[in-house]
Amino acid sequence: MFSLDFLINALSLGSLYALIALGLVIVYGILKLVNFAYGELIMVGGYALFMLGNLPALPWLVMALIAVTIAMLTSYLTERVAFRPVREKSLTAILITSFAVSTLLQNAALLIVSSRSRAVQFPAIFSGSVRLGNVDIANRNILVIVTSTLLLIALTLLLKRTILGIALRAAADKFQMTRMLGVPANLIISVAFVISGLLAGVVSLFWIGRVGSVTPTIGLSPLLIAFVATVIGGMNSLEGAVVGGYLYGFLFSIISLILPQNLLDYREALMFSIVILILLFKPEGLIRGTYSGERVG
Amino acid sequence: MKITTWLKNIFTEHSTLFILITPLIIIALVTDLLDDTLTERIVITMFINLILVLGLQLFMGNGGTLNFAHIGFMGIGAYASVIFSMTPQAKSIGLPDLYPIFNPIQLPFLMALLLGGLIAAFCAAIISFPLMRLSDAAAVITSFALLVIIHVVLVHWDNITAGPQTLFGVDRYTDLWMSVIWGIGFIILAYWFKESSIGLKLRASRDDRYAAATIGINMVIVRWVAFTLSAFMAGIAGGLWAHFITSFSPKAFYLTETFVILAMLVVGGPGGVSGAVVGTLIVSIVREGLRTIESAINIGQLLPSTLVGFAEVFLAIALIVILIFRPGGIMGGREIRWLKKRPLSQKNEDGTNTTIS
Amino acid sequence: MLAIENILVRYGSITALHDISIKVQTGELVALIGANGAGKTTTLTTVAGNLKPVTGDIQFENTSIASLSPEQIIRKGIAIVPEGREIFASLTVEENLKLGAYIRRDRSEFKRDLDETVTMFPILGERIHQQGGTLSGGEQQQLAVARALMSHPKLLMMDEPSLGLAPALVDQIFELIVKLHDSGMTILLVEQNVERTLDIVKRAYLLKNGRVEAEGAPEVIRKHVDIESVYLGSKVN
Repeated sequence: MFSLDFLINALSLGSLYALIALGLVIVYGILKLVNFAYGELIMVGGYALFMLGNLPALPWLVMALIAVTIAMLTSYLTERVAFRPVREKSLTAILITSFAVSTLLQNAALLIVSSRSRAVQFPAIFSGSVRLGNVDIANRNILVIVTSTLLLIALTLLLKRTILGIALRAAADKFQMTRMLGVPANLIISVAFVISGLLAGVVSLFWIGRVGSVTPTIGLSPLLIAFVATVIGGMNSLEGAVVGGYLYGFLFSIISLILPQNLLDYREALMFSIVILILLFKPEGLIRGTYSGERVG
Repeated sequence: MKITTWLKNIFTEHSTLFILITPLIIIALVTDLLDDTLTERIVITMFINLILVLGLQLFMGNGGTLNFAHIGFMGIGAYASVIFSMTPQAKSIGLPDLYPIFNPIQLPFLMALLLGGLIAAFCAAIISFPLMRLSDAAAVITSFALLVIIHVVLVHWDNITAGPQTLFGVDRYTDLWMSVIWGIGFIILAYWFKESSIGLKLRASRDDRYAAATIGINMVIVRWVAFTLSAFMAGIAGGLWAHFITSFSPKAFYLTETFVILAMLVVGGPGGVSGAVVGTLIVSIVREGLRTIESAINIGQLLPSTLVGFAEVFLAIALIVILIFRPGGIMGGREIRWLKKRPLSQKNEDGTNTTIS
Repeated sequence: MLAIENILVRYGSITALHDISIKVQTGELVALIGANGAGKTTTLTTVAGNLKPVTGDIQFENTSIASLSPEQIIRKGIAIVPEGREIFASLTVEENLKLGAYIRRDRSEFKRDLDETVTMFPILGERIHQQGGTLSGGEQQQLAVARALMSHPKLLMMDEPSLGLAPALVDQIFELIVKLHDSGMTILLVEQNVERTLDIVKRAYLLKNGRVEAEGAPEVIRKHVDIESVYLGSKVN
């Protein structure tokens, strides 16, 4: 049952989910904000790719880089324009703001582009496959695994080796104390949003690579995945998010394999029931973070 | 305290109710006189939204925790009431996979409606009890998870619903006055709840759950009662809406509607019943205005493509602006009243005694 | 160096400090003492910029810092060892110290400071790659002091550094405070351990209910503390 084929599939799904979850948690850690607009960053990346595809003869890698940059920029702008002014108000206020930002971006896409899905061009390498032994492995899966591994290594280096990264981790633990050491609050929060946007941008390349097209509501599924993965892994640590992502990827693959078709429809409901149960009985998730529950404000 | 003794004070102590209800009745009367289908449609929708907003206010405003699942219970109320109100013939077409046991049952509309509300409340009561102790991010994610679960179930459980397809063949029972009476009834209920001892306990636990616990308030119980009641209101709203719109699919009970209801409450101010009413009125008016502009542009073909999402973009921006500059909403958590609340047992100007009990 | 002038501070609708005026001269070691809820920690928190005075002013080296953010205030040269130590539990000792030096971005200086710190607090040298959360209470307190010193402050504010430590460690902490003072550091110390504190300072303020009850040499403060314990039946420590 657990053939090489299956393992590679599950691993690539897990890698993607890990990136998705990490992008959500990096902001949550600092602002305690469950950012509902996170999925829309993925959508923005997708539309950027779609629009760039209409331009003549840009190399795909350049287009991808621009799309990721646009997702980062959008993330930064949402922080600057919407989240920063409400940051020190109630938790409810900032949550509703993120819900409003999500609606805003979705409907802006509807307004500017269309509600119909738009096909996005991907280079041939995405659709090809390599033969390993007696199984075909989709190139796309290998690309996801490699890219996410490299990205996770780069982020780990950033968080462990640079003063900004250390400050980011410190701020997720004790925000006020970090400020009292001279670390500017705005800088740290902006950096968190930019990293979140970076991850969303990279995710959008692969997510839309799977689906082949982009719609205004495409961000919802990754957002839900991020919720499940972070709750499984533990919302209070970045490691937890990554572990949760991989775990959810495997869990999802296994469930898809063993669940009978008529129950498969309820897969999402099942996952979310698990989420609720975890929050009730093991709210710290699998990886117990060391962060305090302190909130900015 | 009894609602009846307390309605007597509607001009003095509880002038809020009078001030809130009067303009709504005027709106209803004018609509009735105008006899214009479009206006009636807008006003009925507004009253149904009002019930949803009041229900959300009851739990969220008094309890202080965000609830994303509200619209899910609206969906439950809609489908449940429809199952009991449709004729067997209509059911065999609209709900082909319905459990046969339900097929012959057809109840009078009001009973079906009430049953829909009760089923929504019952589901809420069962599911929510263990969730009520959660706060902050955990509470938000669970309520969101609940909305997703309800949605998935509505989409796939085609023995109860029409699956992802649109359900046709519902009779139209909800008219203008039906929606108005329920709307006003729920204003009174929401206001009464807020002022009641359990509402007070809920508000106390919102302000400081630990302090409330030390004076013997069981936060889980009071939240649970509020959540169940709020789901009942959502269920009734769903039933009314289903029998007004007559054809719908599970998509109607998801994030778009959640956003609209949340926006209405937050714009008005979640802290009070006045906020819920004012927010519903203002957002409804603005939304209809924007829609009119939108359709005028589309009909006149002023733009190369059809304009969609304009109203929502505007609403989202307005919501963010309100949260930045007036996080308590327009009403800031206060209730509209023409007299200041008097201290206990103070002589009124007219010499009578008013006692708050 | 530091002049707190008639500040009034509120938490929401509750007034925590009514009218506090405190002065600290360069090179001085000044203590704030008083019962729980007297306003000692609130005073430090306000100086550090986490709370804003409603009225009154805070002057540091003759410029007002009352409206500055915490990150601007530390750049002026005020460091804090907060109540409860506030060590970053998931960061290593070295990373905690690195953040202490955040406002001074100079790698070679950091190396030198780190060496000095390790000489001063040998235990931190042994634990340098351990996570802050794994340290004992006494070690965490040393780390909190060391972290504050990494910014080379002109004024060091310490909030209850002896709280929750074993008696032997309390001795260590007081010795450390004296040592720092002797080396020329200006210190504003908040303590509940009144006797020990009055033994090492030359000047102190007694706070009560958000007001300055008494100010002066240890003998003056002692007299006030004694009167309170006699008449009100409550001992300040």
